[in-house]
Amino acid sequence: MSEHDHHHHDHAHDAPPAPVPLTPDDAGSRALSDALHSSFWIVKVIMAILVVVFFVSGFFTVGPQQRAVKLRFGKPVGKGEAALLGPGAHWAWPYPIDEVVKAPFSEVQSANSTLGWYATTPEQEATRTENPPGQTLDPARDSYLLTGDANIIHVRASLRYRITDPLQYIFAFTSAPDAVTNALNNALYFAAAQFNVDDALTRNQTAFRERIERRVDQVSAQQNLGITVEQVTLTVIPPRQLAEMFRAALEASVRSERVMNEAKSYANEALSRAQGDAASRLGIAESDRTRLVEAVRSEADYFKKMLPEYRKNPELFLRFWQSKVAQNVFANAQERIYLPDRLDGKSRTLRLDLSREPLKQKPAPEAPKGDGH
Amino acid sequence: MKKNSLNMIVGALLILIFGLLLFLFQVRTSEVVVVTTFGKPTRQITEPGLYAKAPWPIQKVHKLDKRIQNFESKFDEALTPDGYNLLVAVYAGWRISEPAAFFPKFAGGSVAEAERALQEIIRDAKSAVIGQHPFNHFISVSENELKFAEIENEILQRVRGRLQTNSYGIDIAFLGIKKLGLPESVTSEVFQRMSAERQVLVSKIESEGNARASTIRAEADRDAARLVSDAEAAALRIRGEAESKAAESLQTMNQEPELANFLLRLTGLEMFLRERTTLILDQNTSPLDLLNRPANASRK
Repeated sequence: MSEHDHHHHDHAHDAPPAPVPLTPDDAGSRALSDALHSSFWIVKVIMAILVVVFFVSGFFTVGPQQRAVKLRFGKPVGKGEAALLGPGAHWAWPYPIDEVVKAPFSEVQSANSTLGWYATTPEQEATRTENPPGQTLDPARDSYLLTGDANIIHVRASLRYRITDPLQYIFAFTSAPDAVTNALNNALYFAAAQFNVDDALTRNQTAFRERIERRVDQVSAQQNLGITVEQVTLTVIPPRQLAEMFRAALEASVRSERVMNEAKSYANEALSRAQGDAASRLGIAESDRTRLVEAVRSEADYFKKMLPEYRKNPELFLRFWQSKVAQNVFANAQERIYLPDRLDGKSRTLRLDLSREPLKQKPAPEAPKGDGH
Repeated sequence: MKKNSLNMIVGALLILIFGLLLFLFQVRTSEVVVVTTFGKPTRQITEPGLYAKAPWPIQKVHKLDKRIQNFESKFDEALTPDGYNLLVAVYAGWRISEPAAFFPKFAGGSVAEAERALQEIIRDAKSAVIGQHPFNHFISVSENELKFAEIENEILQRVRGRLQTNSYGIDIAFLGIKKLGLPESVTSEVFQRMSAERQVLVSKIESEGNARASTIRAEADRDAARLVSDAEAAALRIRGEAESKAAESLQTMNQEPELANFLLRLTGLEMFLRERTTLILDQNTSPLDLLNRPANASRK
């Protein structure tokens, strides 16, 4: 092809400086020259297109859920995170210089383990039905975890994890998700092997879950999976064959809890009643003290006031105050009845109707029986 | 002339690229390569980069996956030294480390062939290691007994040893237990034991709950009684104090006991007959005696 080009070029350049007169022979060569000229143009266009295609073919796009790595002569371009190409358009040399490897990627991924669950099928999962439990668990179909105290439990787990080293995660494993799932499986068996059945099921499920999370983290670091654990969620159930027994135990603890709570509220009530009782006893004692002390003091004050009077003439003092109080009493009495001795000297019979008035505050004070002195 | 040389360059480039394709090849970061010369492996490449070769049909390039492959063992039985049949499955991550050794060993680098060989090696290693560990090394609530990680490590070391001595060109990156189980017949025994344990647990929970509840009640009763009796004692003390304080005041009245007595009686009388009183008096009561014998009475 290039030979042709040369030939043609020579012709074209040579022509102008030495114009040859038109002869029939020249006309033929001229037609040939024209033909060559036009075919040369076609070749040139094709080559230009090829060059354009060559460069344009270097463009590639990375989707939003994708990452790509540009390998130049097989080695990633850039180190670590910098080697990772995010969503958008990029350009690379065509093979064999550069090569682009794309992989689906989302930062948060999940892995599920049913390697501790009894046999179900996807259809059963979808319709939430299951085979009735058999007498035994067939290791070929049913899976379960063995707890530290050699009990059987079923666990299903799902793990959310973040890819922290995509280069490692995507390019160092044929299937990193499988490796992660296996790390989760391993963690389930590992954690179950050291918990007793009640801790794993109910009493300390948080610790059980945290042990699993820690183990997955540890294993994935050891295996250099390039991930960190975000969260593990668990479903833990006793074997279906023993569901009834486990429920009974649970109910027993609920009952015992209730009995305890009743006892506690009884205790609270008894104590607060006792506190109230104690406080009121103290209060009464306090007020008794105040009253007694005040009363005696006022008596004493009164006595002190009266003492000089009395000393002047005790006889008169006594008579005077006796009459004075008697006057007061007579004046204040509601009813006054004068009952002179019968002339025959016989004693009189007096009928008293004590409930003559509806009770208001205090029962009517008993009147002194004033007859037959 | 310009056009001419441009065309020359482009043409030369095309030839160059064609030549490059014939004589050069790339090794990706995720690959290892075996180069065979007339069918015999003569060169292995484990580092990524651009390499030269003689053109086909002299040399041929075989690319193998360098990434870590997932391997899962079968779930089969092995006997522990204390007589338990235990089913164990393990998983492993393996990769081709020596392609020159790997390639001829497994029918042109077949991964499936390699996995078949691994299956056998791992099964042997697994049962050998399980044969050395009693049941409570696999599951135990006591941290000292549990040898989970040790067991995994021992299997790994054994497998590595076997792979090395047989020079399979395979390296195991990691190995872990994936699943544990018991033979089917044993599971029903476990169920029986678990069910018995549950029954014991139920009665234990109930009796413990009741015992604790009655302790709580008894303690509350005791504390309540103590509170009240303490308060009573305190009240008694308060009253005692009050009386001794009152006695101080009484001291004053001691100067003239007769007057004190009189005054107290007066107040008492007044208090007693304060309201709603009905007085029934005969003629002997002062001052009503005045009605009878005024002269006498007054004189008396």
